[in-house]
Amino acid sequence: MAQQRGINMMDTLMFIVLGTLGATTPLLFAALGELVAERSGVLNLSIEGMMATGAAVGFAVTTLSHSHGLGFLAGALAAAALSLAFAMLVLVCLANQVAAGLAIGLLGLGVSALVGKPFEGNTVAPLSKLNILGLAHVPTIGPILFGQDILVYTGVALLAILAWMFKRTKLGLIIRAVGEAPTAARDIGYPVIGIRFGCVAFGGLLAGTGGAYLSTAYTALWTEGLVAGRGWIAVALVVFGSWIPLRIAIGAYVFAAISLLELSIQGLGLYIPSQFLSALPYIVTIVVLAVISRDTTYLRLNRPVALGKVFRYDG
Amino acid sequence: MTKTRSLLTIAAALAVAMFATGSASAQKAKIGVIYPSPIGEVGWAHELDVGRQAIADKLGDKVEFIKAENIPEGPDAQRIMNQMASENPKLIILGSFGYMNDGMRLAAKRPEIDFIHASGYKTTQNFGWFLARNYESSYAAGIAAGYVTKTKILGVVAAYPIPEVLAMINGLTLGAQKVSPDVTVKVVWLNSWFDPSKSQEAARSLVSQKADVLYSLYQDTPEVVSLAEQLGVYVISTSSDMSKYAPKWYLAGPHVDWSKFFVASAEAAIAGTFKGEGYWGGMKDGCVSVVAISHDLKPDQRKVVDDAIAAITSGSFHPMTGPITSQDGELKLKPGEVMADASLLGINWLVKGVETRIPK
Repeated sequence: MAQQRGINMMDTLMFIVLGTLGATTPLLFAALGELVAERSGVLNLSIEGMMATGAAVGFAVTTLSHSHGLGFLAGALAAAALSLAFAMLVLVCLANQVAAGLAIGLLGLGVSALVGKPFEGNTVAPLSKLNILGLAHVPTIGPILFGQDILVYTGVALLAILAWMFKRTKLGLIIRAVGEAPTAARDIGYPVIGIRFGCVAFGGLLAGTGGAYLSTAYTALWTEGLVAGRGWIAVALVVFGSWIPLRIAIGAYVFAAISLLELSIQGLGLYIPSQFLSALPYIVTIVVLAVISRDTTYLRLNRPVALGKVFRYDG
Repeated sequence: MTKTRSLLTIAAALAVAMFATGSASAQKAKIGVIYPSPIGEVGWAHELDVGRQAIADKLGDKVEFIKAENIPEGPDAQRIMNQMASENPKLIILGSFGYMNDGMRLAAKRPEIDFIHASGYKTTQNFGWFLARNYESSYAAGIAAGYVTKTKILGVVAAYPIPEVLAMINGLTLGAQKVSPDVTVKVVWLNSWFDPSKSQEAARSLVSQKADVLYSLYQDTPEVVSLAEQLGVYVISTSSDMSKYAPKWYLAGPHVDWSKFFVASAEAAIAGTFKGEGYWGGMKDGCVSVVAISHDLKPDQRKVVDDAIAAITSGSFHPMTGPITSQDGELKLKPGEVMADASLLGINWLVKGVETRIPK
């Protein structure tokens, strides 16, 4: 019995480590997209709706074209189109960002239901797993490091690129300047509105990709409500990760891992109330991110000062 | 002139015909249906709609429907119900447990409209409930699971520990133990009615813990079924036949059919003879059955499953017949004792062999 439990523990650990990368991917894409938008000073609360639209459109196109690549492209573009509508409202019409974000988010949920209606409850073949260097079958580390699907690696690469961009490149500094002091950025000649448009659209592309990943790779199914709140978690991760890519990623991994741990603990027959377990991912993620972000000066330095504020070009 | 006269004659004849067949046909009887989720190709809402379609087939153009799908429980449902009531339907079918309080309130205000309510327990003169004896089909599917499992571990993905769900897990476990006494059952509670990605994660975690038969319990969409096909483990689903999502690994489909009850309720509501009662339909009522049983069962094994179904249908056997011991080792039913409907409706314990506790 003890031995059997030992085997179970090992398998459970393997399940969590293996599953975490996949479970994190949609969150990571959406959160990194939101990070770019927020760094430029725009708070976009429509992530949930954009993910849903990306998921529905991505699923529809994958089903019809039998191509995951086209599905991801279509999902990303559909969500980007929504984000441009949002950008029009807040950057050109100078609408309140919170209200406009919520409205576009609801619109996105509606669009997803409409587009997805003929596909309700359908499934597609999931995005295939890679076998990098033929090492995917090496016991234990093979499937974890070399046998994931391409979006998992893309997500990690994106994280590295964005972290480097914000820290070391001129583009990163310009985006930060636009989010910190838009009037100053304007005065030295940067097209603040244009840069913000670009950042919001980039955020839309990533949210749509994250949504399409859920519907065509992770769950490989479309049904209304598939995103189930992950967009909101992405928004929260950006804030709790204090606008730093690596922290956001840590938050996303912790959240995904604890969510899987919760399910495993139940199956192991350990008696912890499952309502408590269901709350655990949120609690642990908040605690972890609060601990790594405990330096409040550092936190204030990273928070885009102009976040959520209306900016008038001639103001 | 003759033309006018003949038109008048036709009009008069029509009027007489209408009068003769009663005022009901002057205006079609309306029936409202509220679905908690979108009507997909399979699942709970789909089966509700199959029941609605049966009314349409039986009563033809005597009825018309007001449908509202994907209505969240709460203020939205109340608004939709009131709107439906304003069209003076004869019957409103409330497709989810959470519509109960709003439905009861409306029923009290509008005694001329009859209501039937899914999974409820309260009745008034014009408000009844309907529920399926899914534990019967779960028991039969459990026998099949007991035969095909090699690891002797079954995994259940379930939403919330409500009595109906507990009864189904008990049915599955008892059925499996009938043919394979050392079977154990692991359950993952999702604590959410709807998160397909999470139910797949739960299914994966159960398979990682050596479960080789999965029971997708009240998951409305086929995500666990299609995942089982990918992972190569057997799978049982709820409500609908989901075998097309797992052609190789689909083990059995406990199925519900509301047709008879919906037709009877609609006819009674139109005739004015409706009584608010509880309907707990089982195999003998044709409400519950097991479909798409896997061909991987050997003929003698299949016969045991079929015999159990026949015995339950004829009423000669009840799945909850003692001796039955609970998880805690308490003898709940003495040998030969059959659980009464009233206790089964409110069951709050799991049988021995289920490893996971009920969250309190």
